Amino acid sequence: MLDWLKNINKEHPEFWKTYLSKFEQKSKRYVVFTTETSGLNPESDVILSIGSFAIINNRIHIGDNFESILLQYKFFHDNGLSNEFILESKMKKLSEPEAMHAFIEYIGNAILIGHHVDFDVDMINNALIRLGCGRLKNEALDIDVMYRKLVDINDKQFSLDELSEIFKLPKSYRNSPSEDAYTIALLFLKLKKRLGIK
Amino acid sequence: MNTIAENIADFLKVYPPFDNLTFQELSVIATNIRVLNLEKNETLFQINDKLHDCFYVVSSGTIHLSVIADAEETLLNKCHSGDVFGLRPFFAKNNYMMTAKSREESIVYAIPIATFRPFVANNPDVLNFLLESFATNTWNPKEKENLRGKLATDNVFYIDQKSEMQYFQSLTYNRSPLIATINDVAKDIAFLMTENLSSSVVICDNHLPIGIVTHTDMCSKIATGQFPLTVTMKTIMSSPVVTVVENISLAEAQLMMLKNNVTHLCVTLDGTDKSVVKGMISEHDLIIAQANNPGVLIKEIKRASNAKELKNLRERLTELIQNSIHKNIPLSNIYNIASEINSAILKRAVELSILDLGSPPARFVWLSIGSQGRKEQLLLTDQDSILIFEDVLPDKYRDVRDYFLKLGKKTTATLEKVGYELCPNGHMASNMLWCKSLTDWTKQYDSWMNTPGENSNDLSSIFFDLELVFGEKKIFEAIENVIEKNLEDNSLFFDFLGNDALRKNSPLTFFKKFAVEEEEPHKDEFDIKTKALMPLIDGARLFALHFNIKGLNNTYLRFKQLAIIDSKNSDTYLNCAEAFLTLSKFRVNEGLKNENAGQFINLKELTKLDKEKLKNALAPMKELEELIKSNFKLTQFS
Repeated sequence: MLDWLKNINKEHPEFWKTYLSKFEQKSKRYVVFTTETSGLNPESDVILSIGSFAIINNRIHIGDNFESILLQYKFFHDNGLSNEFILESKMKKLSEPEAMHAFIEYIGNAILIGHHVDFDVDMINNALIRLGCGRLKNEALDIDVMYRKLVDINDKQFSLDELSEIFKLPKSYRNSPSEDAYTIALLFLKLKKRLGIK
Repeated sequence: MNTIAENIADFLKVYPPFDNLTFQELSVIATNIRVLNLEKNETLFQINDKLHDCFYVVSSGTIHLSVIADAEETLLNKCHSGDVFGLRPFFAKNNYMMTAKSREESIVYAIPIATFRPFVANNPDVLNFLLESFATNTWNPKEKENLRGKLATDNVFYIDQKSEMQYFQSLTYNRSPLIATINDVAKDIAFLMTENLSSSVVICDNHLPIGIVTHTDMCSKIATGQFPLTVTMKTIMSSPVVTVVENISLAEAQLMMLKNNVTHLCVTLDGTDKSVVKGMISEHDLIIAQANNPGVLIKEIKRASNAKELKNLRERLTELIQNSIHKNIPLSNIYNIASEINSAILKRAVELSILDLGSPPARFVWLSIGSQGRKEQLLLTDQDSILIFEDVLPDKYRDVRDYFLKLGKKTTATLEKVGYELCPNGHMASNMLWCKSLTDWTKQYDSWMNTPGENSNDLSSIFFDLELVFGEKKIFEAIENVIEKNLEDNSLFFDFLGNDALRKNSPLTFFKKFAVEEEEPHKDEFDIKTKALMPLIDGARLFALHFNIKGLNNTYLRFKQLAIIDSKNSDTYLNCAEAFLTLSKFRVNEGLKNENAGQFINLKELTKLDKEKLKNALAPMKELEELIKSNFKLTQFS
């Protein structure tokens, strides 16, 4: 809660200062992202991979993306787990500090989009704190919240699979965070239009 | 390279022109793709929009390409998954010439021209594909065949062979008219017109049309000696010139000429003489345009030499029907034209078989039964036909029957290739049961009509909607007489037909909701064929037989005729006639939309107004039902 006190006299890394300076302007860019994590506890679990796409002017830019596997040797070692699957993946691999650095540079001041995005933001924030940075400043939108607003349902959460089903999205195998992010991006475009968000 | 780009490259690689590229190349393209989501009925680009910096590939959903003439929309093409459209920016600098609109919620890949251009330059196959697509008018089904689909031109849409309803089609006209000034001399202009084989020249001042000189002016003013050869245009031109908008239809051009008593119309940018000249329409253009009508289609059918040609012609009929419906031409007129053309196709199919098998050994008649027998076939439905041959000596019977069975098999196979599916119940002349001698057919009708309950399995009421397709009229009349004779005082038969007509399930539930299908694959859809159209068709047939109406097989016309004959119930009949048209239109629209027989209506896609309209059209059925009950005391079978 009093995180900012701890940080008050701390010198932030350079990339973080650049990041903060980007918020002087409002962004027209959206970044859809999703993380794959080792568990559900933001304090003790770590991010294993990130997938993300940019949406500009209602179009998903396939090339404007960021995806990475995070090499979490220490976490696996401490918990006595194997990390083979991470090593086998063809995706780009970065250490957690490198990945956070690149990710923060990638998102800039964009509005973040995710599915149950609070959790993803929490995970990123904890990783940032480990690097001596502050918390994310970006605005964040949650497609589940958007959908519930659209249909006026308050007492139920919808999984990504359920939303895909509802909007008849072609089923993909969805075995990587990028594929999840792409699905979220399509859902976001549909919801955005239906909710009349400019 | 990222995971999604890889997936998209995988998707693209099976469709032309992308199938000519390596996966590596496709990955580069996929990385630069932008993905769009289009809501239902959202416009991606429309006529005269500035060109986008990309072209499009449909990922999922359907995109309709259309043009607008006389403020009417004409559908040119439907793009499905994998189809490429919007190639115009590749080749032309001016604006889009058609509208692209999503027919349902769709996902579209936008491929930047800048990314794709190098691959076009380096790969002749890709270039050829694009050039071909741009140069040909894909909407002509003849060429569609060669281009094995998957692309949609968006260039010129004024097509010579375009078989549209005559009066609503757009015109091909001279788009680079001769232009002169008021100071030009008659002799020079006469030379110019002769050289260019043109019958007119527009006189412009500052690019704006102020007059016109035509053949007639030259004849009546110069050749008569009224003016010398050196006279200027100013003196002999007719002014003001009649101007019209671009994209004018044949009908409107004709009206303008008649109204203004002229033979030439000047096309300008906004249709007034205060804008730039774009072209010139002459009477001759109208004559040429009129050659593209259903009559020509029938002529071509008569000349077709194989099933493939017939298939192309049948596709042009579909086009004609589709365009006519878009133009709101009354459905009863469309039925007439379509059934004539269908008939011609069936006839040609029989002829082709005869050409192949040699002359028939006996006289015969080929009859359509069912929907084509009623002249109500717009969508490609299954075939229903019977064959009757004259009686022959017993020792020849076997050979004769074998010949006609062969004829039946050959013809139904041809028709299957054309696109008419085989009848699932085997109601076809290729079936031994429905290909027999006049005596046998007489016996068949006698037994159906006099003892209807006994063999009711193979009695289908469609056998009473007969239409002559090919052969001896006398045999057809003979069988008609048999039916007529059997109708006299035959309460048992009417009882049977009446019960058959009433046995259909009600289209509305007890609570006045649509009675929708309860099981997959059509769950929650409304079976408009069985629940709404069939009862009307059966009812019309029943009464037509009862009042012995001959020569009118069409359900709509039958009801109209019944209203005259049985005037005390005319309201009911007229309501049914209207309801039939309304319901048919729903079915045809659904069928064209989904490219099937349109049997099931997806109620979710209807607007509230349409739903009301549909429900109202179901109301007269109840009246008809009551009428059947009171007219035929239905006891023996109920």
